[in-house]
Amino acid sequence: MNETFLTITEVIMMPIVAFIIGLFMVLMMRKLAARIQRRIGPGVFQPLYDIVKLYGKQTQISHGLIHDIGIIMAVGGYVAAVTLLPVPGMNGIADKGGIITLTYLLMVPSLGLALGVGQCANPNGSIGISRALTSMLAYDIPFIIVIFGVATHFSSTSLVSIIAAQQVGGFGTWGISEMPLLALAGLFALHASLGKHPFEIYVAPAEIATGPMVEMGGKFLGGLFVMQSFQLYAASVLYVSLFLGGGENWVTFLLKCFAVLIIPFAIAYLFPRYRTEDLVRLMWKWPVMLALLGIAFVMN
Amino acid sequence: MKKSDLDKVKIKQIPAQKRTNPFANVFDEFVGFCRSRSMFMLHYCTGCGAIELPPAMTSRFDMERLGIQPMVSPRQADILLITGYVSIKTLKRVILTYEQMAAPKYVIGICSCTVNGGMYWQSYATAKKLDEYFPVDLYIAGCMPRPEAVIEGLQQLMQKIKANEANSWKQYYKNYDYFLGNQQHLFGNNWQTPTDVIGEAETYQLAGPNTLGEHTKILQSVQTPLKPLEMKL
Ligand code: SF4
Repeated sequence: MNETFLTITEVIMMPIVAFIIGLFMVLMMRKLAARIQRRIGPGVFQPLYDIVKLYGKQTQISHGLIHDIGIIMAVGGYVAAVTLLPVPGMNGIADKGGIITLTYLLMVPSLGLALGVGQCANPNGSIGISRALTSMLAYDIPFIIVIFGVATHFSSTSLVSIIAAQQVGGFGTWGISEMPLLALAGLFALHASLGKHPFEIYVAPAEIATGPMVEMGGKFLGGLFVMQSFQLYAASVLYVSLFLGGGENWVTFLLKCFAVLIIPFAIAYLFPRYRTEDLVRLMWKWPVMLALLGIAFVMN
Repeated sequence: MKKSDLDKVKIKQIPAQKRTNPFANVFDEFVGFCRSRSMFMLHYCTGCGAIELPPAMTSRFDMERLGIQPMVSPRQADILLITGYVSIKTLKRVILTYEQMAAPKYVIGICSCTVNGGMYWQSYATAKKLDEYFPVDLYIAGCMPRPEAVIEGLQQLMQKIKANEANSWKQYYKNYDYFLGNQQHLFGNNWQTPTDVIGEAETYQLAGPNTLGEHTKILQSVQTPLKPLEMKL
């Protein structure tokens, strides 16, 4: 009874914590972009202001039921995913789910978005979502190979035991020092999954008018902003759990999470973006080659 | 215009209710504050004044520190920036864009050309005063105004939003007949937009005595109902 109650509390607490940390990650992204472009950048609460304002709009234009459900799926997929990501002190339902379930859940938001955007009947949105799904296809191949390699190395699909195995010997037993090639390939996949430059093929404001977001206003766009903060959190925590030994305590955990995101963000604002076919070619060549090589080392 | 004609179209009028709950007021204040601190702008670059916006947005003057960001589609935007002279053809697109934006929405006219026609006063092809066609919250005069002036203007708008005074979007619903009349004067009596403004006015409970009139009557007589687009490959 007590344990059930504890699990339920954790399942409720984890998305809330994830959302708050995610807001700060969005802030860091925008601040970093501003600093790279020699600007001052937004204030501390800017991501929160944006979301509150969008939810407070008087006109809320829905394009039908599937449009609403699509946004709920997009946010809900990540909310479900973060309950499977162990953080210091809270395991949630991580030991019951494992990485295979998590991988499935991480695909739900893109599919939800595709459903929702489909009903908007805007050609820019349709082009955008087809590009988003193509890029998902591109980065999921190296991502799955990396997941497979890590699970093989630790002979477990449970994130809790993967983290525990990494924490026994400090830095020497971290995934990144035992499987550097897989870690590198994972970083590629992480960057592409965030959809930032140079892999930003589906937002492309100047070309297809922010693609999937083109018909979203008010609370729908607000939902996508919420989704973005969850997305940053989920991606970085997953990487930290697989390769950086998870969190011993909150301080090191947060340090690792933010540090992981700095790498893609710092690259993102320096480069223009690829075309769709170039992205697929790149993702299926280099990260996949690195990951396969990494798996060969893991399996010997 | 006869009174009986006006009676044909009925507009529901429900008196707006005051919120009495003190928490609701605090909440409204908070939302108002967030509105003023987060403005997504759709800069519809109509004329030469648009060239002053890139410096206002980038490293020199950096609008993002005030929470102002560019957005690309009218659904996402709060502010419509009209940056310079508006030709008749452009004005049609501007009105379409304006009607698609989500309320509360604000319009800023940058450049003298939007105030009174500026140096295009004698041109047959430009609209002279922007606020004859839809309500404008703020004008920033100058040919063209410097980025400092643009940011100063945006800060004034911010103050207005915070004080809950930037309500000009409601005027469009309250005085729709007047704005529609001016639009019909330029575009002819067949002018029609995809947005059902009268229906929206009812929904927002903003329909007043000036919402309907002789011009909306013309609109209703020529209006062809919108049909969904045919799917073709
Ligand atoms: S006011 Fe001057 S700068 Fe602005 S649109 Fe008119 S002519 Fe161009």
